[in-house]
Amino acid sequence: MASREIVRYRSPLRSALQGLSILFLIFFFVWTVLPLFIMVVSSFKDLLDAFQLPEVGDWGDIGVMFDFKPTGAHYVELFTEKHFGTYLRNSLIASLGSAAVSVSLGSMAAYALSRAEFRGKRDLLFWIISTRMAPVVAVMVPLYVIFRSSGLVGTLPGLILAYTTFNLPFAIWILKGFFDNVPYAIEEAAQCDGCTRWQAFRLIIPLVAPGIGAFIVLCVLFGWNDFLFASIIGSGGAKTLPVATAELVQPVKIQWGMIMAAGVVTTVPMMFLGLLIRRYLVAGLTMGAVRE
Amino acid sequence: MATVTISDVWKYYGKTMAVKELNLEIKNNEFMCILGPSGCGKSSTLRMLAGLEFISSGDIYFDDVRVNDLPPRDRDIAMVFENYALYPHKTVYENMANPLKLRRTPKDEIERRVRRAAEILEIDPLLGRKPVELSGGQKQRTAIGRAIVREPKVFLFDEPIAHLDAKLRSHMRGELKHLQRDLETTTVYVTHDQLEGMSMADRIAVMHEGVLQQLGTPEEIYNQPSNEFVAGFVGEPPMNFLDCTLEQTNVGLTVVHSGFRLALTEQQASLLTAGGADANVRIGIRPDNLAIEQGAEGSLDVPGEIFVIEPLGGDMIVEVTIGSDRVMVKTKIGPMGGPGDPCRIGFDVDKLHVFDINTGVAYF
Repeated sequence: MASREIVRYRSPLRSALQGLSILFLIFFFVWTVLPLFIMVVSSFKDLLDAFQLPEVGDWGDIGVMFDFKPTGAHYVELFTEKHFGTYLRNSLIASLGSAAVSVSLGSMAAYALSRAEFRGKRDLLFWIISTRMAPVVAVMVPLYVIFRSSGLVGTLPGLILAYTTFNLPFAIWILKGFFDNVPYAIEEAAQCDGCTRWQAFRLIIPLVAPGIGAFIVLCVLFGWNDFLFASIIGSGGAKTLPVATAELVQPVKIQWGMIMAAGVVTTVPMMFLGLLIRRYLVAGLTMGAVRE
Repeated sequence: MATVTISDVWKYYGKTMAVKELNLEIKNNEFMCILGPSGCGKSSTLRMLAGLEFISSGDIYFDDVRVNDLPPRDRDIAMVFENYALYPHKTVYENMANPLKLRRTPKDEIERRVRRAAEILEIDPLLGRKPVELSGGQKQRTAIGRAIVREPKVFLFDEPIAHLDAKLRSHMRGELKHLQRDLETTTVYVTHDQLEGMSMADRIAVMHEGVLQQLGTPEEIYNQPSNEFVAGFVGEPPMNFLDCTLEQTNVGLTVVHSGFRLALTEQQASLLTAGGADANVRIGIRPDNLAIEQGAEGSLDVPGEIFVIEPLGGDMIVEVTIGSDRVMVKTKIGPMGGPGDPCRIGFDVDKLHVFDINTGVAYF
């Protein structure tokens, strides 16, 4: 194997840039982590403590932010009075369900588009991705009408279907690229070994696992973070976390503590998903044997 | 363990013809090599045998069973691919066990057969590894292992050792031949390397531009090529071709070239007459059938001038200019002078081949 060393020689400019990049990273870290930190900390404060803030520029008094008695009251209230358990479950079912449907349909479609040659294939591919080009809002009204007459409004299957319409084209495009990289000879070998076409297809699925992993993340994130579909198509029976959180903002007596707690409840599962998938993705990529 | 009959098979890709009216019978347990340059239709033929491609017209039989419409899994073949086509996410053991697992072979039987195949191929210490951790030769052995764990009707090899380095390739030639004799299984081996065909096959089918040129034993292919293509494709260094004219003289029919005249034997002359040869012909002679000696004066007939000398260790190849043409002569290594020096060349007339200048068909 050829050497992959990247040669770097010291120069004043390089040192200066290095210093700058460290500064940037510190700034970036604070910028991204601080809001999360405040959210988590505030979710454990009661209303009075939450507004104990130091004067602007008074760094000496920063301690007051940490001077509080932690309370889990907001979380308890969230799950007992506000039924966040149900919403959490709805969010999980809607996003994971859509991911599952999109990944199973998407991988089959992507496989077919990767392997088969037929007239109009390029047009078909473009048509598939073009369905993603319109903004969600643009299709909302017609979708709502269709869903209402099919009795899908306010149901989880309806929400899953809505997310799938947007996830599926994406799945097909991502996965087609991964299937294109799997040599067809592997399937031919499988067929000679005694596989049917379907078994040969299943055999190469692990080879596109990194693509499927990446896609599942994007798909779940789309469903999990979605507000528009959830508030309109999911309204009523299939309320998800973002919608439920938004409803905590009432005209009087805004429940900051509960909103922060809801934010944590919404964020934490995705963080775990990220960790889980990251390990899986790395494992998939280091397998690196797709090419002979 | 099967006879393979290819009967009037054609293959088209769209309007492009890949295989034309191929008729070939491969005997039970025979090692058949399909030899030809890239694009000659040899891989298409193999893939039609495997069932990986449709047959445009014609029939293929395994024994008496017409297999045209059978998918690969129902043909009971085992194929080794040019790029090995191992399953990257499975270990060597799992790769080799796959064909057995698909046939619902009992676990202990799979274990026994995979271990035996691995021992034959000397890859038993590697069974736990993944393909990425293997060298080219080891991958290739694994691919062969996957084929030999079963007892298929036919082995199909698609240039299995083309990507190995030269030394390993020559080693694997012997191994494969030995293995095939050992397993006694009908084998079709596709290659563009004439050396592989010559050294391993019972019979060779030479293909060019989709057309079967000649079918015969390696010895027949080498000594009695049916046309100029086969003559030029088989043999290393390749046969020398010289355009000549035929002249009737008092010593019989004579080949006349700008640098020499060669009297043909009576038998050769009658073959040419019987074939209705034109006055213009192309003669062919292998570098091994030319003799050479140093210096302008000597016992050999044809004067020449050395163009370049390529020593090969024990032998050397001397390129010599004769008249307006240049020929290669293979001889034992020894003092020969250098470029520009005179030499003399002797033709072994018995080993001469004469081809029609237009069609390339051999008269002898």
